Amino acid sequence: MRELTFVEAAREGLAEEMARDGRVFVVGEGIGARGGNFNTTLGLYELYGEERLRDTPISERGFTTLCTGAAATGSRPIVDFMFIDFLTDAFGDLFNQTAKLQWMSNGRLKMPIVLRGCIGVAPQFGAHHSGNYYPFFVHIPGFRVVVPTTPADAKGLLKTAIRCDDPVLFLEHKALLNLKGPVPDGEYLIPFGQATVARQGQHVTVVGIAYMVKEALRAAEQLAAEGISVEVIDPRTLAPLDMDTILASVHKTGRLLIVDEDYAPCGMAAEIAMQVMERGFDDLDAPVQRLNGAFIPAPYSDAFAPGLVPDAASIAAAIRQLLAE
Amino acid sequence: MAFKVTMPRLGWSMEVGTLAGWLKRDGDPVQAGEALFTVEGDKALQEVEALESGILRIPPDAPTPGQQLPVGALLAYIVQPGEPAPFEVAPSAQTAPESGHQQPAQLEGPASESVAGVPSERNRLPSISPRARRVASELGVEWRWLKGSGRSGRIVERDVRLAAERQAVPRVSPLARRLAGELGVDVAELAAQQPGKRVQRADVEAAARQPTREAPVGVVGIAGQVLPVSDIRRLIAQRMVESAHSTAAVTLTTDADASQLVALREQLKATLEPRGRLVPGYTEMLVRLTGLALQEHPLLNAFWANDEIIVADAIHIGVAVDTEAGLLAPVVRDVPHKSLEEIARELEALVEKARARRLAPEEMQGGTFTLTNLGMYGVDAFTPIINAPQSAILGVGRIFSRPWVRNGEVVACPIVALSLTFDHRVVDGGPAARFLNTVREFVEQPYLWLTR
Amino acid sequence: MDPALKEVWLALLRTMLMIRRCEEQLVKFYAAGAIRGGCHTYIGQEAVAAGVCAHLRPDDVVFSTHRGHGHALAKGVTPHELMAELLGKATGCSGGRGGSMHLFKPEVGFMGSSGIVGPCITLAAGGGYTARLLKTDRVSVAFFGDGAVNNGAFHEGLNMAAAWQLPVIFVCENNLYATEVPFVKATRNPSVASRGQAYGLPGLEVDGNDVVAVYQAAGEAVRRARAGDGPTLLECRTYRIRAHSEGMREVGYRTPDEVNAWKARCPITLFEQRLLQDGVADQLEIERIEAEVGAIIADAARFAEESPKPDPATVADHLYSQTGFHHA
Repeated sequence: MRELTFVEAAREGLAEEMARDGRVFVVGEGIGARGGNFNTTLGLYELYGEERLRDTPISERGFTTLCTGAAATGSRPIVDFMFIDFLTDAFGDLFNQTAKLQWMSNGRLKMPIVLRGCIGVAPQFGAHHSGNYYPFFVHIPGFRVVVPTTPADAKGLLKTAIRCDDPVLFLEHKALLNLKGPVPDGEYLIPFGQATVARQGQHVTVVGIAYMVKEALRAAEQLAAEGISVEVIDPRTLAPLDMDTILASVHKTGRLLIVDEDYAPCGMAAEIAMQVMERGFDDLDAPVQRLNGAFIPAPYSDAFAPGLVPDAASIAAAIRQLLAE
Repeated sequence: MAFKVTMPRLGWSMEVGTLAGWLKRDGDPVQAGEALFTVEGDKALQEVEALESGILRIPPDAPTPGQQLPVGALLAYIVQPGEPAPFEVAPSAQTAPESGHQQPAQLEGPASESVAGVPSERNRLPSISPRARRVASELGVEWRWLKGSGRSGRIVERDVRLAAERQAVPRVSPLARRLAGELGVDVAELAAQQPGKRVQRADVEAAARQPTREAPVGVVGIAGQVLPVSDIRRLIAQRMVESAHSTAAVTLTTDADASQLVALREQLKATLEPRGRLVPGYTEMLVRLTGLALQEHPLLNAFWANDEIIVADAIHIGVAVDTEAGLLAPVVRDVPHKSLEEIARELEALVEKARARRLAPEEMQGGTFTLTNLGMYGVDAFTPIINAPQSAILGVGRIFSRPWVRNGEVVACPIVALSLTFDHRVVDGGPAARFLNTVREFVEQPYLWLTR
Repeated sequence: MDPALKEVWLALLRTMLMIRRCEEQLVKFYAAGAIRGGCHTYIGQEAVAAGVCAHLRPDDVVFSTHRGHGHALAKGVTPHELMAELLGKATGCSGGRGGSMHLFKPEVGFMGSSGIVGPCITLAAGGGYTARLLKTDRVSVAFFGDGAVNNGAFHEGLNMAAAWQLPVIFVCENNLYATEVPFVKATRNPSVASRGQAYGLPGLEVDGNDVVAVYQAAGEAVRRARAGDGPTLLECRTYRIRAHSEGMREVGYRTPDEVNAWKARCPITLFEQRLLQDGVADQLEIERIEAEVGAIIADAARFAEESPKPDPATVADHLYSQTGFHHA
């Protein structure tokens, strides 16, 4: 099977969807002739021109709401924020218009809009370019939230997102963009709400969010040498969230660790842990544990890097501790 | 059709408003837009305009200025010239005035919950994970005796599964289990020490005699062995302290000439033994004569409860019995109505049960007075502790030959010390002493029993 | 006014009367406690909605603001649906879900009013974007008040619409107050129309109480948009006669004299006088229209009162459109 980077695979998916449906267009800063800061639209401007690859002024609130209006009136916009941190200017209209128009109009208005951007802490990007923010969208009724971790998943999930008539947050972790991975030939879509078991195991379940899946897999590899068998689950979408797969794993292992780079309070780990409590209490042999990023804005100096976010070593330590519980 | 003038909502969260006054009178013509009435606002009166033109008609039973009304409450009507007001028409044609105001449902107070008593140390169960509990129930493992390998001592799945493997045969006999509870022995530990072998009484008793290494908290620098405290010991300790702290205990002692009593016993022995009949001992004799004495001094057969003195109707005498496990006091019920032989027989049975630890709870409850005989230990006078909630206890010492003055001469005479502890809240020294005198009288002159 | 357009003028009158009588009925419902929350009446501003929407087709789209009853009715929402919605009934245009500020009828191109000030401007720009992308001659209209022109959405929306030559008409109803804050206190530039220049699009100031003037200015803006010549900003100077929202005070921040002066300029009265003066219609025709509208409004009120409430079990319907997902 051919190998593509995460960005290449997602771009391939975008290109296929733009060719398939003339109503799909992309809006964002520098996504036109330049092809996007992260090469998300490289080569598409030459094919489709400025009507469908629209460079915007720095007006995140404005163009997000413009695209909301466009989606409501029959086209299928993709808003490419570059860094998801920039999306925060549009929170107001996202929560009150984008999320609610379908429901408020009793389903007569659709909202086929994709909101994509890079998330996550990467070395020295600083406080304004390291955000995750997904709990906000998981929390508000109306949104879909997608966090792929492999190139194959990125392509399949982006295609589904573009064809979906609901507003979709498509969040790509910076540290994954250049990772290579196998991508199937031919047309395929991945439905929302379907987690994968990235690694099978017996002793403990680890759910990773976005890039943390990779670090959890590294930790699992280390621990295998110590005779500890770790099962790693990649939810792939946070809304809808595949709790059945997670619960089946907890039923098998009895112990659960959730690793999320985003802040602990009211985060995905809290949500998953609560749902496991509600539906899988009698399967737990120990309290559910979580490992999160430090509860501070992302600092710049590399002196601050150790301990800022979970990594394979801290995940392995947490697993050993969980097994002793 | 008549237009209804209602209390308007003058603010998003307004639910009630106070009508301040009318600016028009019943029968006045009004124009839409004219000020019609005023409502009390936060800072000033607010004028409310008419929304229709016509004639204002205010019903005779309309709300009056100063009244607080819910939003939507009917105030008046605006009718067209010539049109009758709804309240001037026959009732069947009227529409009921709207209130638009619901009474909030009566909220029920929270059901009062009784607070569960805090379990004693003995009753607290070890912690166990939900998964382990489920597996234990599936495999039929009794997890309460297990030691947990989880951090903080939690019982986890592996502990239960391990236990299930070893649990082919019951590992602890029921008797050993009960004894272990009483003597404070960790039966799970014992079982673990002898895997596969059943833990029995002997094991538990042996373990109970073993010293443990921990020094008691608060006792510094004293080397010694720590004895485990049984349930009974604990209960005794608790009740003794309770009695000591709640009663106003005073002890009176006297010596009684027991020669007649001794003679009586010998006579009974000589007559009954050859016939194979039960020979009453001194304790049952004392029970009998105490019962008779209590009949004449009912205040010693009473209870202090909630600032009241309750004199018991019947006389049930508890008799202190020393057992391996500790002091027990089985009760002989209804003493005055029983013969000496009946009392003897009953007491014999009770004492045997007590020693065999087979007394039923009801056999130890309900006593109105207690007798405690330390004579066999060579004790004379002593200060028995009242068996709460009773108000008196009679201690009996040894029957022992001592120098005694009789008719001015010193003779050797069997003497018995009688010690009465009584609760001064219930009875004073005088009446208590009189009771003791009666007891002494019955000891010294047993033939008096025949007349009671 | 051109007598040859008599049908157009009478239609405008009918629309304005429909709005006026409907609003008056809603005021009564509100006073009786049957409507809760916001109820921002359009009384006094009828000429703007009527004059602009007269040029719109059902497939043109309108995005409105909290004071949206007039736009809804002018675009094709029936008084029955409007009143039922404010009474929270299932037969309301939003199924009882929205109330006064969240009105929807996409079937006639009324794409929603909003309780938040500002987004309708950028949403309408999006409607224009779709029209262009799909190569139609549809136009998109945003109705908003003077309070919205100082919001970032105004800046960003007008800028993008001009930069990308979108077929949008931005209609500002400047009624001189944002709730109770005078417009002249909120900005140092008291002209909304002049702001168009900053974005490179034409800005026109119109007497918002003169339905003929509004009709003519709007007609030109719609024509431009349909021809692909880009957006226009219309500032319609008008006045709301009643309080910002029902139940709030009408004076205190403005004087009774000011209110009365504008009452004397009632757009309906002025238009009726002009129709008679110019001989375009006679008193009988006008009264016939009044009676017709009156009957419709009375019927709408009855319909709204008699309609059932929505089924609570449906409250979560339409949160998402895709139901084929695993675990959705």
